[in-house]
Amino acid sequence: MIVLAIDTAGVDCSVAVYDAAADAVVASACETLGKGHAERLSGMIDEVMRQAALAPADLGLIGVTVGPGSFTGIRVGVAAARGLALALGVPAVGVTTLAVLAETARRSGKTGAIFAAIDAKRGEVYLQPFDDAGRPAADAQAMLLDDARDVIGSAGAEVVGSGAAVLCDASAEPDHFDIEAVARIAARQPKGTGKPAPLYLRGPDAKPQMGFAIERRA
Amino acid sequence: MQPAMNEVKLSRPLTILGLETSCDETAASVVVRHPDGRGEIVADVVLSQLDEHSAYGGVVPEIAARAHVEALDTLIEEALTRSGKSLKDMDAIAATSGPGLIGGLIVGLMTGKAIAYASGKPLYAVNHLEGHALTARLTDGVEFPYLMLLVSGGHTQLVLVKGVGDYERWGTTIDDALGEAFDKTAKLLGLPYPGGPAVEKAAKTGDPKRFAFPRPLVGEARLDFSFSGLKTAVRMAAEEIAPVSEQDIADICASFQHAVARTLKERIGRGLKRFREEFQGVAEPALVVAGGVAANTVLREMLTSLCAENRFRFIAPPHRLCTDNAAMIAWAGLERMAAGFDADGLDVSPRSRWPLDDKAAVMLGSGKRGAKA
Repeated sequence: MIVLAIDTAGVDCSVAVYDAAADAVVASACETLGKGHAERLSGMIDEVMRQAALAPADLGLIGVTVGPGSFTGIRVGVAAARGLALALGVPAVGVTTLAVLAETARRSGKTGAIFAAIDAKRGEVYLQPFDDAGRPAADAQAMLLDDARDVIGSAGAEVVGSGAAVLCDASAEPDHFDIEAVARIAARQPKGTGKPAPLYLRGPDAKPQMGFAIERRA
Repeated sequence: MQPAMNEVKLSRPLTILGLETSCDETAASVVVRHPDGRGEIVADVVLSQLDEHSAYGGVVPEIAARAHVEALDTLIEEALTRSGKSLKDMDAIAATSGPGLIGGLIVGLMTGKAIAYASGKPLYAVNHLEGHALTARLTDGVEFPYLMLLVSGGHTQLVLVKGVGDYERWGTTIDDALGEAFDKTAKLLGLPYPGGPAVEKAAKTGDPKRFAFPRPLVGEARLDFSFSGLKTAVRMAAEEIAPVSEQDIADICASFQHAVARTLKERIGRGLKRFREEFQGVAEPALVVAGGVAANTVLREMLTSLCAENRFRFIAPPHRLCTDNAAMIAWAGLERMAAGFDADGLDVSPRSRWPLDDKAAVMLGSGKRGAKA
């Protein structure tokens, strides 16, 4: 099965064509854009597919990062993935950026339980624990730094991702999500689990507007 | 994209899938253009996010964007199913790429790009305003040139429609859109969102002469609109008599609506006369109305009689096609295709601001990014 992996949740715009049977990336591209994923993503998909000498109809699965990350970036990828899935009649699955960080750490040799943490700004991190087999041990959530330190401290597990620096009061570099890890996680994910949906971990930051109305006679 | 010199002669029908996500409606539609130029809507699905935004008294961009990405692909499937066609039958994909709320535009345009790429079909990135401008040709086969009045929550424009891709903005609001003025009046008076229907309903039992609200820009030769002063006058009048009774509210609404109708009448009356002077050869000129505010009965009656006085045809497409919808986006794509415009590349950008008339002067207050629309 050929997997098309997409990541636009962070500063990178990444695409890979991955052959699940061979556990190998056939072609991939990554551009660190910061902004402008909506302009580049579709062209990059076309370029990577050409490099892999494959046609859209050869794809069997779309994998996309669903966050946590940039709200707009997440929607760029998720909208593209769902559009591709619809047009090709193949499933699309979502992969969390936290799972990608944990997978990448494990592939680089880290063993044992891991906390994946992403700098969420505003004095918070997006945090999720993974067990020694790489499975999520709890749901991902946005946490205040002190709360996160408490949780991590009591568990005593290693922290990976940009959140690690933030938790040590250091300035963090933006996360880069390994597109091969996205593809690999997508390929082993059970199918038929619904469409990829953004994982924002934060509300839309809107408050009902009150107090604008003029006083009414009782 | 190149402006076409001649309309391409087409011997077969063209079919397009259209997507619209620029504000708070998620929509998908399949439209056919027959060789004789007639349009046919074969499927038209709209999901309004009204309930999600009503608590906030207006559209919240992030809430809108979240709702679009959850709903759009399902709506496309439904539109295709209803049309009895598949993506294979499409000649192109059309998606709104501006102007509008950027979060929603991104969802629609990315979905459109993905479908176009995967199905090997050309993509047309459509200007939302062009969708409104050309709707009357889909519903009534109106010939160029004609005048279009767009009155919605985001826009208030009088546009000369000369041809596909050929527009002159004759007037626009220098501050609030008319629908926005209705919404803000409703909010001030504690009426529900959206404000248009609520204000209209309250005005029915009100006295339109009780408050003499200003008629901004009336008497000026230019054809622009302004509604923020009217909004302030409404607030001051309400504050003066607060606490307000039900009758006060009705009177304020009626007086507000009356002021709006009188302003529009004068502004648009000037536009009709200008059209007469510039296009003396057009025997049966037409004023086409679009946008949600076009549903207002009082404004509609005023426009109907104004057009009759000036011997203009008054064309108001059905309400469903006046408010945001994907059929107009599909149709604009078809018109561009038929007129020989090139399709857009996969790198085309969503544009929160995209004036229909790119030569139009930037209005005061539009900021560094230029004209909104």
